[in-house]
Amino acid sequence: MRPLTYLAMSAMAAFLLIPVYLMVKISISVPGEVFTQHPTLLMHDVTLDHWRQIVTGGMLWPPLKKSLTVATATALLALALSAPAAYVIARMPRGWKYTTLLTLFFTRMFPEVGIALPMAIRFIEWGLFDTDLGLTLAHLVRTLPITAWILVGSFEAIPRDIEEAAGVDGAGHGRTLLRVILPLALPGLTVAALFAWLLSWEEFTFAVFLSLASRTLPLQVYYYVYQGNWFLTATYTTIITIPVLILTYALQRYLKAGTLAGAIK
Amino acid sequence: MPFRLGWRGSRGAIDVLFLAPLTLYILGLTLWPVLSTIALSFQDRRSGSLPTLANYQAVVEHFEFWDALYNTLFISVVGLSLELCLGLVMALCLSVPFRGRGVARALMLIPLGVPTIVSAANMRYIFGTVGYLNETLHQLGLLEIPIDWTSGGARTLMAVVAADLWKVTPLVMLILLAGLESIPGELYEAAVTDGAGAWQRFRYVTLPLLKPSITAALIIRGIDAFRIFALPLTLVGRSTPVLSTYTYFEYVDYQNPYTSAASATILLVMILATTIAYLQIAGTEEVIS
Repeated sequence: MRPLTYLAMSAMAAFLLIPVYLMVKISISVPGEVFTQHPTLLMHDVTLDHWRQIVTGGMLWPPLKKSLTVATATALLALALSAPAAYVIARMPRGWKYTTLLTLFFTRMFPEVGIALPMAIRFIEWGLFDTDLGLTLAHLVRTLPITAWILVGSFEAIPRDIEEAAGVDGAGHGRTLLRVILPLALPGLTVAALFAWLLSWEEFTFAVFLSLASRTLPLQVYYYVYQGNWFLTATYTTIITIPVLILTYALQRYLKAGTLAGAIK
Repeated sequence: MPFRLGWRGSRGAIDVLFLAPLTLYILGLTLWPVLSTIALSFQDRRSGSLPTLANYQAVVEHFEFWDALYNTLFISVVGLSLELCLGLVMALCLSVPFRGRGVARALMLIPLGVPTIVSAANMRYIFGTVGYLNETLHQLGLLEIPIDWTSGGARTLMAVVAADLWKVTPLVMLILLAGLESIPGELYEAAVTDGAGAWQRFRYVTLPLLKPSITAALIIRGIDAFRIFALPLTLVGRSTPVLSTYTYFEYVDYQNPYTSAASATILLVMILATTIAYLQIAGTEEVIS
């Protein structure tokens, strides 16, 4: 049994690692090594040409800037919009809370193409098409239910006694929230913001419906896939993946089934 | 009498103020777009009058739509079955302690840390004409002439399923593993005392207690499988449409938001109907936990 388990595990490890390995390998391979009848798994000639082309050729900054701007704006707005609501939801009686969370879950069921389509039509009229603001507004659609969900959990974990004690000590609602609740919720708020950032950073569907000239990094990948340029594709995908991998490992203990419902796609 | 919302302990106006931004956002930028897609799908292309079934008629007369519907169902049914089986096997393997389990669990997280668009691009290195799948088959002496796995047909559907498996099986595994770890060990001890063998323990202890996790995994994954978009668009493009990409092509390539909306509405109805039907059978309490 034991050797069999290890054999299965090794096969699985190879299955999981090979696509990621190929991505990094192709981003630093010479064309002759990749476009051949018989590509090899091992690396022979290493070149930094593709990285140089993207980084120093001025092709990185515009999409990187758009992705960073939209992801950061999405994370901050997601907190601003969902934290107050999550605080109230966390204090609801069980039945109400359950219904509210289920409603939030249901909004995640809608096909994104069906939301993106009328958005694209309206955004063209409103001048929001192909803008950072427009894409941020769209990214909030997929982000808010998740951040609200995470934050309800973290507000629930703060005992009500603490709040009541602050009230007895003469602190008003506003002061209790700012001085007592907010610091205690800070870890939860950080996790929610990071998830929101990730969800926007790697988002594709809304981006492809709502952009034309100003591309995010995922759109840049799509563009080069259709150009048939494996090397630039591999380089851009490596750049996108690095922060996602790091954050996924940093946030792994928060990966609960509930958050997974929509957080990882 | 002071204003109160319906639940005990409500602080009235403050609660309304706190709930308002999220509620308004979801109403305005999630619910309203969905409703306008539905409205658009019943609107006449030329006169703009409502309601008409012309868009649905145009869609069902389009062979590509039936392709898309078939492909979506194929990918969902075959993909989900494989994910569940593989995910369960992996979860069972990882639920018993062994040396290197920490490493194995860390490896499992890799696909979760790779965005869908990236995994789709990566799969082109494997399924392309000069890709690694062809080379592996060639090395094994199974293949003479290279195949383009992404050009359409059953093999392309299987390529999409395989690519999706890579990305999502670890997620299914994590959900099932959490379920497995919540089963109390005493139950297994009791089953052993009663003389139950390994299969009986699995069949009569593990499976019934794992049902809520299986339900959760099925619903979460089922919804995503129906609306799969970035992966087929990037990996196989027009050769193998699914409902989401069909919706996209109708709007972007054919400039027809009306048929696009009709196809999006059909997808929405499919998702809602399947989920509600499943929740009716399995019970809702199990989804949130």
